[in-house]
Amino acid sequence: MPEQVVLSIKDLNVKFSLRGQMLHAIRGVSLDVYKSESLAIVGESGSGKTVLTKTFMGLLDNNGWIDSGSILFEGKDLAAFDEEKDWLKVRGRKIAMVLQDPMTSLNPLKSIGRQIGEALELHQSLKGEAAKKRIQEILADVGIEEPARRMKQYPHQFSGGMRQRVVIAIAIACKPQVLICDEPTTALDVTIQAQILNLIRDLVRKYHLTCVYITHDLGVVANVADRIAVMYAGDIVEIGTSEEVFYSPRHPYTWALLSSLPQLGIKGEELSSIRGTPPSLFKDIHGDAFAPRNPHALKIDFVQRPPYFDVSPTHKVRSWLLDSRAPEVKPPPVLSRIRREGGSLYDQ
Amino acid sequence: MVKYILKRIGASLFTLIIILSVVFILLRQMPIEGYFDNFDKLDQAVIDARLHQMGLKAPILQQMLRFFTGLLHGDLGISARYSVGAPIADIIAQKAPLSIQMGVLSMALAIALGIPLGGAMARSKSKFWDRFGTAFIVFVNAIPAAVYYIYIQSYGSNALGISMLFDRSRAISWVLPVFSMSLGNIAYYAMWLRRYMLDELNKDYVQLARAKGVASRNITMGHVFRNAFVPMIQYIPTSLLYTVGGSIYIESLYSIPGMGGLLVDVISRQDNPMVQAIVMIYSCVGIVGMLLGDILMVFLDPRITFAKKEGVR
Repeated sequence: MPEQVVLSIKDLNVKFSLRGQMLHAIRGVSLDVYKSESLAIVGESGSGKTVLTKTFMGLLDNNGWIDSGSILFEGKDLAAFDEEKDWLKVRGRKIAMVLQDPMTSLNPLKSIGRQIGEALELHQSLKGEAAKKRIQEILADVGIEEPARRMKQYPHQFSGGMRQRVVIAIAIACKPQVLICDEPTTALDVTIQAQILNLIRDLVRKYHLTCVYITHDLGVVANVADRIAVMYAGDIVEIGTSEEVFYSPRHPYTWALLSSLPQLGIKGEELSSIRGTPPSLFKDIHGDAFAPRNPHALKIDFVQRPPYFDVSPTHKVRSWLLDSRAPEVKPPPVLSRIRREGGSLYDQ
Repeated sequence: MVKYILKRIGASLFTLIIILSVVFILLRQMPIEGYFDNFDKLDQAVIDARLHQMGLKAPILQQMLRFFTGLLHGDLGISARYSVGAPIADIIAQKAPLSIQMGVLSMALAIALGIPLGGAMARSKSKFWDRFGTAFIVFVNAIPAAVYYIYIQSYGSNALGISMLFDRSRAISWVLPVFSMSLGNIAYYAMWLRRYMLDELNKDYVQLARAKGVASRNITMGHVFRNAFVPMIQYIPTSLLYTVGGSIYIESLYSIPGMGGLLVDVISRQDNPMVQAIVMIYSCVGIVGMLLGDILMVFLDPRITFAKKEGVR
């Protein structure tokens, strides 16, 4: 991979104030996103994956703020932006987003042509006939037939899958560099999910987009991502190429996550699940955040936060188990089934 | 769409006939003493003659038939007690314009102040304008209108240096009654617009608009306000028409010769034809208001159509 870094996040900390309490949602994340790659961020609800990507666009809720760290993009530090006009040059133009639920993410009272046109007018000053032509091109691009007729219609005249195509059309309208897909298929019918994923993958290739997927569906990840970052309690605990994370995961949390895949379950046996609950981010976390739920936890896990250990140049894991002094722990045997099924986790 | 409107008008006419029939029959159940100022002193022959003259001696169905035939010819009837012998249309034509002018002005004021206030409240949730607006709304709704109407009248006329009573020819004397009349609507519009706008602000499409790069000002105006206005537009025609119908209290407070107190007045004096005519006018106003509200909704919200929809997707 020719490694040109598009987005470089350094030691990012995000906090929220909720009812007088402070929540530490992102705890020192560092991450480089490379040009034209597809990076998937996986993790359970509340692990901070959405919050992390929201910081790239300045879309944190009003009660949240970037406490420290930097987000370098095109030589500028996005974390230091504090005026809306700075963000308006980035949002939609350089970094675009596809939201989770297409049933609610379009304005019900505006025709979809106008909703796409709004972005074109803002970022490319396209109006009138030129805009109309471009809108039709984009709609055709996302696989909507009869674009000339469809662009005059309203969201309620589209099905869920079609609406998500429209949302994607809005996102790619201005040819952004980075496309963030926040669980783009979670709200869709299973039969439609694969279509939308394929569409995103094709567009990413066609326009050389850099794509960041957020998902908790590892099946999705296997199909689309070049690299995978596993988040837990506001931190990236393991990051590597898809191969590395799926076939030789090293962090106990990744093991637990993969073991609980329904695809790996054996009929009649109880599906593996992760005991306990994620730590409260309202409190300071000492040591490894996963330690209380980790059956292989070492003493040091409760005392000191592990550093990243390099497994390979592309594979980094934040776990004391990789320290040379740690006892050797084997991953759960069920994970070998991923390998045996070969290729991708499951074909869609 | 024309078909739908015709259908609605037909249904409205049916409603109107029922309302009028019920009112008509109820009025005929009133004790006959009410038709006379000095019932005790009159002898039976005079009473009978007078009742006959008012058409109350005929069987009720026949009376009703006569009333509806009159209506069909555009004849509202003759006042029986309020202003004996005068055509009701003339009485109303004389009183209505002032109420209408005043109502339109107060509506304009209510919209001009209530809508921006509601918008400002939604934008600055939990900050100054929101707190100020909430205080105002609670004040207007919690304190009986009669109380602050009187304060506005006495302090206001003092401050402006004008008489407490209404003088049609002086523009300044319109200020206080119009302002008083609009207070309730200002609070009402502000409250609902704030509520609807906050609903909209929390929706996903606002997030998407932000992610698209739309400035927050334009999101508020172009997306949130417009969408929040749709549920409100339904009630505006009705509230306009009712305001135009006149306010009993304010008209009596300032001695404004409008429509406001007329209905109560003619009911207490048992002027049957007048009651019927005014009830009919108010019913029409209500029905037309709702119809207009529904039609406006169709223009603003593409999801609502009059016609049956063909299958989607």
